[in-house]
Amino acid sequence: MNIKINNKIYKVKEWETVLDVCRREGIRIPTLCGFEGLPREAVCRLCLVEIGGRLVASCTAKAFDGLEIITESDDINKARRINLELLWADHAGKCATCKKNKMCELQRLAEEYKIENFHFIPRKGEITGCEELDLIRDNWSRVVVENENPCISRNSELCIECKRCINICPEKKFGFNHRGSDIVVGTPYEKVLDCSFCGKCIEVCPTGALTDKNDYVKIVEELDNLKKFSVAVLDFAITEKILKQIENITQEKKIEKLLIRLGFEKVIQLEKENSEDEIIKNIKTEYAKQEKINSNDMVVFFISSKIYKKAKKDNYLDYVLSEREVARLVRDKEKMREGKIKI
Amino acid sequence: MKDIKILIEHWGKIDSLKIEDYLEVGGYKALEEFILGMDRMGALGEIKKSGLCGRGGAGFPTGTKFEMVYKQIGKKYFICNLDESEPGTYKDRLIVDKNPHLLLEGIIISALIVGADKAYVYINGNYQKQKEILEMALLQAKKKKFWGNKILESDYSLKIEIYSGAGAYICGEETALVNSIEGQRGEPKLRPPYPTECGLLGRSTAVNNAETIASIPWIILNGGEKYSKIGSKNSPGTKLFILSGAINNPGIYEAPTGITVKKLIDDYAGGIKRGKEFWFAQIGGACGKLLLEKELKAKMEFGKECECPLGSGSILVVDKSVNIHDLLISWADFFRRESCGKCVPCREGTFRLWEIAKRFKDGKISERDKEAIQDILWTLERTTFCPLGKFAGTAFRDAITKNILTF
Repeated sequence: MNIKINNKIYKVKEWETVLDVCRREGIRIPTLCGFEGLPREAVCRLCLVEIGGRLVASCTAKAFDGLEIITESDDINKARRINLELLWADHAGKCATCKKNKMCELQRLAEEYKIENFHFIPRKGEITGCEELDLIRDNWSRVVVENENPCISRNSELCIECKRCINICPEKKFGFNHRGSDIVVGTPYEKVLDCSFCGKCIEVCPTGALTDKNDYVKIVEELDNLKKFSVAVLDFAITEKILKQIENITQEKKIEKLLIRLGFEKVIQLEKENSEDEIIKNIKTEYAKQEKINSNDMVVFFISSKIYKKAKKDNYLDYVLSEREVARLVRDKEKMREGKIKI
Repeated sequence: MKDIKILIEHWGKIDSLKIEDYLEVGGYKALEEFILGMDRMGALGEIKKSGLCGRGGAGFPTGTKFEMVYKQIGKKYFICNLDESEPGTYKDRLIVDKNPHLLLEGIIISALIVGADKAYVYINGNYQKQKEILEMALLQAKKKKFWGNKILESDYSLKIEIYSGAGAYICGEETALVNSIEGQRGEPKLRPPYPTECGLLGRSTAVNNAETIASIPWIILNGGEKYSKIGSKNSPGTKLFILSGAINNPGIYEAPTGITVKKLIDDYAGGIKRGKEFWFAQIGGACGKLLLEKELKAKMEFGKECECPLGSGSILVVDKSVNIHDLLISWADFFRRESCGKCVPCREGTFRLWEIAKRFKDGKISERDKEAIQDILWTLERTTFCPLGKFAGTAFRDAITKNILTF
């Protein structure tokens, strides 16, 4: 089967979608709701292409012989810009303080499509005068913030309702609550999230709506505290994940150097056959004795994707950091190195 | 032609709670005729010949839809779509109120034609009274062996179940309706596959509007040919029109398709009220187009070439004393509330449209909002997932292009 993309002929297999073909051939099509391995929901309406003069979502459009597709036109750009603007209007102005700043897919797209001057009044800010107070109230009612569970921070203010977390959750904990513009991605009856905390939802979240829960300010304090001896225990195969997270932030590729720069004094790499609990326990006991350090002055970090460990902290383990939180630490450190933030 | 009554013939003359009343006026004769004198193929042929098309608004040929399901093998379902929630539309509600057995007879015949052994009636959650009437009708009809095991001692069997939705507008869309019966969130699914191939529980399913189904007994009794001669050529038959607004006799009327809006307003609804000046008419509910006085000659029919989509058949006559801004807010609020919230342009766009309509209430609008309205209407028309979003801006757009609304 052959299809024509931008007047060039490509060979396609049966059951391939237009998006699959474009990705394979390196033709840029922006997506937000789509994620490798998840069902194609076609809800973000950014992957639009033109087929026969009509705008069609490429992620669900099946390729068939003789199909002709245009991937860049004024209409396509306009549609992508408006739809992105509509999403972006919700986010306006919050990036500077966001956990996911510079690591956010929406932010990246907004930069790519140059959403700077948007037409839609942000839901917060800019609305002045008492006559519009009811608008503010309407807008605020949609937001659900949850910090009650031990591992995952939820903030629906930043959510773009892409359905990724709903689809990836093996326990089906998330779903749409309410409808229309009142929609909130949440748990049934907005109960506190209670699951096995595999962390897959945080991994796929394109924005800062689902993030790792932690005491960030305190972590930075502990790392910067010269009296404290910070030990990082790197989980098996976490290094690649960290480097992938920070590829756009820093050129540094040596993980130990990065961690030392962040303020860790000692880095321990776990091997596949190691028992993490045993090694972590040894740090504050045997290792402390051996190095003659008061175990009260030691801070033990476990750097791992297993975020459920956050719920199981004890005397031997102080903090659990995921690859995303390390990336965040690196990001903030880099900002300081560039001199953007002065402390 | 004005006197042809297919759907409303017995309205008001029979007690909707008594099956005997309906039997007396020749009820369930079509079912008998179908079972004793016809085969499924022949009945399907009659419906195809009649040219009947979907009365829910899309106008898809009913015979074609039936045939698609008829040809499928394995377990099949038939669904009567009674999730009527278009603002200003209450035709299906009255069909149940006034003559529930006509609808029931239609459901039984249609389900048997397509070869389904289970039929659902998906009823709007707000129609509590109508649900009770239907339950009563079902009970009475079962006693008379019009449905259940071995209908009228034949080999046909059919189960019927009433399924009450929760009153969501989007659940009138067939894939969302199927989702709802399955227990999923009421949101549209990607088409294709259409429900005729892969519908309820993955089986081939025919989803038809209640008014369409209620026309079927007449076609079986009188033949498709006779039906096809009524009304317009492309979409023959009669249609229920619901007129409201600044007219003398608001209400529901049955008229042949192809009738002009002007005729409906003047001949059926008694013309414009005294002292009121006609401004525009909205055809087909909140998602309908607006017609100015000079456009009232538009024929009311379905099909691709029609001048004005007929939609659900409701006609709202607006006079010049109406505040257009109230209407704008009402339209925008309806779609903001009823959007399922799944895709970006519809969820965010309808919300922003409502927000702007509220700011615009006093007639003043900023440059930024003006541009925003154009952008939203543009994206709603072209990029939404399902037809709800596509039509959410129709009235707004018409108000602007036809100079009803001036900035």
